[in-house]
Amino acid sequence: MSFSFADLGTGALRAALPLAIWGIGAAAYAAAKRDGRALASARWSALITFLLVVLAALAMIGALVTHDFSIAYVARNNALETPLFFTVVSLWAALEGSILLWTAILAGATAYVAWRGTPALPRLATTALAVLFAMLTFFLLLVTTPAADPFVRSDIVPLNGNGPNPLLQNHPLMALHPPLLYLGYVLFSVPFAYAIASLILGEGGDRWLVATRRFALVSWALLGVGIVAGSWWSYAVLGWGGYWAWDPVENAAIMPWLVATAYLHSVMVEEKRRLLRSWNLSLVIATFALTILGTFLTRSGVVNSVHAFTQSAIGPLLLGYLVAIVVLSVGLLLWRLPTLRDAGAVGTPLSREAIFLFQNVVFVAATLTVLLGTLYPLIAEALSGAQLSIGRPYFDRVEVPLALALLFLMGIGPQLPWHGASRVTLERQFTAPIVAAAGGALLAVATALGGAFAVLTYALAAFVVATVVQEFARGIRARRALHGESASTAFANLLRRSGRRYGGYIVHLGIVLVAVAVATSQSKTVEVERTVSAGDHFEAAGYTVAFGGLRSVREPQRDLLVADLAITGNGADENLRPALLFFPNATQAVGSPGIAAGLHDDVYTILVAYDTSARSWATIRVLVIPLVSWLWLGGGVVGLGAVIAALPQPKRREVMRPLTEAPATVGD
Amino acid sequence: MTRERAVILVALLAIFGAVAWSAWPHETTAAERVDRITSELRCVTCQGLSVKDSPAASARQMRDLVVQRVAEGRTDDEIRGEFRASYGDWVLLSPPASSWTGLIWLVPVVALAAGLAVVVRRMRAIVPSAAAPSTRELAALRERVAREEALDLPQADGAE
Amino acid sequence: MPRWLRYSIVVGIAALVVVLMLSFRRDPHDIRTGTVNKPAAAFTADRLDGTGTLSLSDYAGKVVVLNFFASWCPPCKEENPALVRVWERYRTSDVVFIGIVYEDATDKARTYVSTNGVTWPTVRDDDGRIAFAYGVFGPPETYFIGPDGVIAGRHIGPVDEATLVASIDKLRAQASR
Repeated sequence: MSFSFADLGTGALRAALPLAIWGIGAAAYAAAKRDGRALASARWSALITFLLVVLAALAMIGALVTHDFSIAYVARNNALETPLFFTVVSLWAALEGSILLWTAILAGATAYVAWRGTPALPRLATTALAVLFAMLTFFLLLVTTPAADPFVRSDIVPLNGNGPNPLLQNHPLMALHPPLLYLGYVLFSVPFAYAIASLILGEGGDRWLVATRRFALVSWALLGVGIVAGSWWSYAVLGWGGYWAWDPVENAAIMPWLVATAYLHSVMVEEKRRLLRSWNLSLVIATFALTILGTFLTRSGVVNSVHAFTQSAIGPLLLGYLVAIVVLSVGLLLWRLPTLRDAGAVGTPLSREAIFLFQNVVFVAATLTVLLGTLYPLIAEALSGAQLSIGRPYFDRVEVPLALALLFLMGIGPQLPWHGASRVTLERQFTAPIVAAAGGALLAVATALGGAFAVLTYALAAFVVATVVQEFARGIRARRALHGESASTAFANLLRRSGRRYGGYIVHLGIVLVAVAVATSQSKTVEVERTVSAGDHFEAAGYTVAFGGLRSVREPQRDLLVADLAITGNGADENLRPALLFFPNATQAVGSPGIAAGLHDDVYTILVAYDTSARSWATIRVLVIPLVSWLWLGGGVVGLGAVIAALPQPKRREVMRPLTEAPATVGD
Repeated sequence: MTRERAVILVALLAIFGAVAWSAWPHETTAAERVDRITSELRCVTCQGLSVKDSPAASARQMRDLVVQRVAEGRTDDEIRGEFRASYGDWVLLSPPASSWTGLIWLVPVVALAAGLAVVVRRMRAIVPSAAAPSTRELAALRERVAREEALDLPQADGAE
Repeated sequence: MPRWLRYSIVVGIAALVVVLMLSFRRDPHDIRTGTVNKPAAAFTADRLDGTGTLSLSDYAGKVVVLNFFASWCPPCKEENPALVRVWERYRTSDVVFIGIVYEDATDKARTYVSTNGVTWPTVRDDDGRIAFAYGVFGPPETYFIGPDGVIAGRHIGPVDEATLVASIDKLRAQASR
């Protein structure tokens, strides 16, 4: 019998399934009876399951690389001439492969919890392990049944395959964006599993939350960076000069991120003030349910989307899974509600915990709005048969004010002490930030930024930056006074020793960059469209665009029609090649923009139309988009801040810090 | 009035002035009207992009039609109405507030109001019991929190 | 959490699940337009073969089958034999076919017409105005206009012979009544 990747992959997955089922029982037994042998068995099951799923994923990559068209997935998503890079990333270019990747990540998280999560908290972690095994079982069922079996054989083995979707073999970000998103989605299973375990055991405390804080932070950051990478991909590939269209699948990704952001903040209230216990559990459940909802929306074909995978039997299964998750976890939560009493209460609206609460309300409202907006066409059609659309104008109009409210809260929250502040303190704290905000607003007006929302964004951005600078300055001053460190050492030590707090501020700065990038690029983009012949040139926002002509380029997997453009002026001197791509198996050409990126602005060029007979003219659209690269930069800063916040802090002696506020001023 | 208070007041006035200035309605040009109308029309051959955003040929043709209608002096409603007659409400990217489908506009308002109602109720419910912790108690609490913050809490980390 | 909020969350989740379940019955590509049962929009357009113009009003009182097509659209090629057969059957009667080129280069459309045996009149719609007036999403789409000038029906995607014949016969029966 000859070797076959399909047999290897199928075999590995079929072997993994019973192991995962065994793992549920072993872990549950180990948790209930505190049985060491059962725990060891569950651990080894987790590890071997993980290795088997990785083996299956490698088998798929092997099949793709060797163009084994006897596997239907390979035949549909790969061709002999597909470049190696896009051949490998085809693992997640379509439904079955992406579910396989998902399963592999989930198996990895399960194995991690099995080996590293159990020592400190044996019962909680072992129960969580059983929950993870149950979720893993579901995904293994998907990949071993026709619902999403990646190794289904082709009916007839074709000589060549279809090749990946043209849009997906166009940009290296394709290698980054989906895995980051999946990592973010899947790693959130761990906080969820611990939360469920805590409910099952009736612990009522916040041990689950402290244990998974870092997991939640990392998966939140991966999801966030994945979303930014996705918008970068769409900017660089889709050729409309935008990066966010409120497409159902973008919405599906942003919803869990929004709720997770609310969660990351409200956990601090629970840690510091022992409040919001049931609320935090609700947020974890909601985040996790939304990741499944997102998967469902992307893969069931119920909504129209650029990302929608083809319809398959997986839709009803995912919906069933979602319903099971929601019913079980909400049921558990309601059952345990009496044990989740808070130790105390939020007193005054001018305290940090109160700001976190308001922030939570806004985040949840924003999420609900995205959720209902995304599903509203389905709801309307189910109710009355009416067909309608909810798109960017709606989401922009309702989400922008909410985002501004969040920016505002992001500025004041960190400045307010726990338990409340006095008015005198407030005035002292906020003088500089408010002056900075005025500066931001005036800067926006001076640079002719259009629209009240854009001006407000600048004002609030300056406000937040000033508060962050103030916080760093205070921290550095304190360290210098207490330890006699130099300013730079003090800065480094703040990040290293209080990474959670100061890393969080770095995240805030990243968010400010994103907000400024969005406000500026949305309100000040200059758009020029000209039909030109070779040798013509025209102006766009101070740049001169010279058109050198059209030429054809042959590549193994596609043909290109390239427009040669030279961009000069504003200190730029670049050659851009916007193109139309012709793939053998696509009916219409795919546009590919030519982009000259810069810190100040991007020149974004699109070949819109051309003379099909003599190629004597071409229509070129040029967008000069200010500050758009700050968006990707902001995403990176958010990721960096999250890394700082997630890094383990050095064990240290107790450091006395001066209180930020003299007790004498309390309650005036 | 303290000096700080005066500075804050002036700064707030400047922000208010800047926002009001930028929000002041101005004469819309034909190009702005075209942008506004096309950003609310759905490109019929794309997946959810607006006519303004879409690079598709049909979107460009729709845009040309809007340009022509604006030049002819039609109102925004007339132009939208022309596309609605052919494509129904589907072609509008945000549902008109006039029919029942406009209820979607209430979602953020209702969600915010419900959330704030819960938060405020909680706060008020608490006030009697937590009303007046003595200055000394509060100071002790503060100190505890500051200490914990400095330590960032000893962690019973399991999964990390 | 107040009781009313708890209940409304549970009810809300249940309602969402029901909507998601119902949505499986929905075909996201079936989009209805508003032009059926309304008077067909009048148009005058250049003939594809360059022999002057064609107006819909020239065919008042007849059954008109409008077919939007393009050379780059494989389903158009797929439905074309059915169109040719039905056209041959009715061309001598009071039934007219009009092909309307949808977003295509004129020379490519001409080649398509000559190689695929399209002998009914075809017109250009370079600026897409006719397609917009009828609410076309993409080729192929077929509209059936009665002798009263009202759009009686519309077919999205490749049309088959039976559908064509049934729609045309229904309109002819109406006309003779």
